[in-house]
Amino acid sequence: MIDTMEQNKELTAQESLRLISESFNKSRKDILRNSAKYFILWGTLLTLTSLAIYLLWHFTGKPQWNFLWFAMPVIGYPFAALIGKNSIAIPQNEVSKMLGGIWSVFGVFSITLSAIAVFLVPMHITLVIVIILGLAECISGVLLKNWPIIIAGFLLGIGGAVFALLVKSEAQLLIFTLGGVLLLVTGFIMKIQYK
Amino acid sequence: MFPKLDPILHSELRLAVMSILAGSDDADFTYLKKQTGATSGNLSVQIDKLTTVGYITVEKGFKGKMPRTTCRITPAGQQAFSNYVEALKEYLSAGK
Repeated sequence: MIDTMEQNKELTAQESLRLISESFNKSRKDILRNSAKYFILWGTLLTLTSLAIYLLWHFTGKPQWNFLWFAMPVIGYPFAALIGKNSIAIPQNEVSKMLGGIWSVFGVFSITLSAIAVFLVPMHITLVIVIILGLAECISGVLLKNWPIIIAGFLLGIGGAVFALLVKSEAQLLIFTLGGVLLLVTGFIMKIQYK
Repeated sequence: MFPKLDPILHSELRLAVMSILAGSDDADFTYLKKQTGATSGNLSVQIDKLTTVGYITVEKGFKGKMPRTTCRITPAGQQAFSNYVEALKEYLSAGK
């Protein structure tokens, strides 16, 4: 372990390599554990939003409740900014930056496509979004070299697409509830993996 | 003949700082302090030494109202770090 380093002592070759490896791994774990918070945040929001819309639509019969989707980024981004304001700033590395990039791109695509579907050209938005959600999850798993996340992303994308084509109206929203749970699980897997 | 180990890197605290910076884009002074367990004074001195030889750059700014010191490894620092690791491997393989 890295203890306090007050002596600036000279090291043997073996001690040096061990120190490099420990320092490098410790900061890598910190960085990836920090990324897990964002998976947990968006997973929670996706689960709660999809469930809320499902229940409201189911009991009122009004699909207009789908406009609540637009509240998700309004709530999520300030929370994400708050998480970033740690007292000790955790650095970024290539993997954490790529994860951030993948999910930002997913967010932009989802919001833009949803807006197009609502205001311009009707499309099977559940099908489209569940495919890119699964894809983003799958690519995250590849980056993290984590098979459970890769498989979960694949099942969500492919299984979700089939489910979206088979079921109608508000029941489709349950795919996103499952997607939210998978994001949450991904976050917790990362927290455990990089403990 | 073994390659000479870089004396700047062949010191516990400076090597730990360089190892952290080699694996990340940049790092806060407070993060480095927490990771190494060093005192602010000692860490500042070692960061100054790494800055003087051009292995890292230091940027002072603010995050909100709090002052923030960010350290970043330079290409020269990356090269020196990589050379140092190679030299260590040679030492170890010769010792086997």
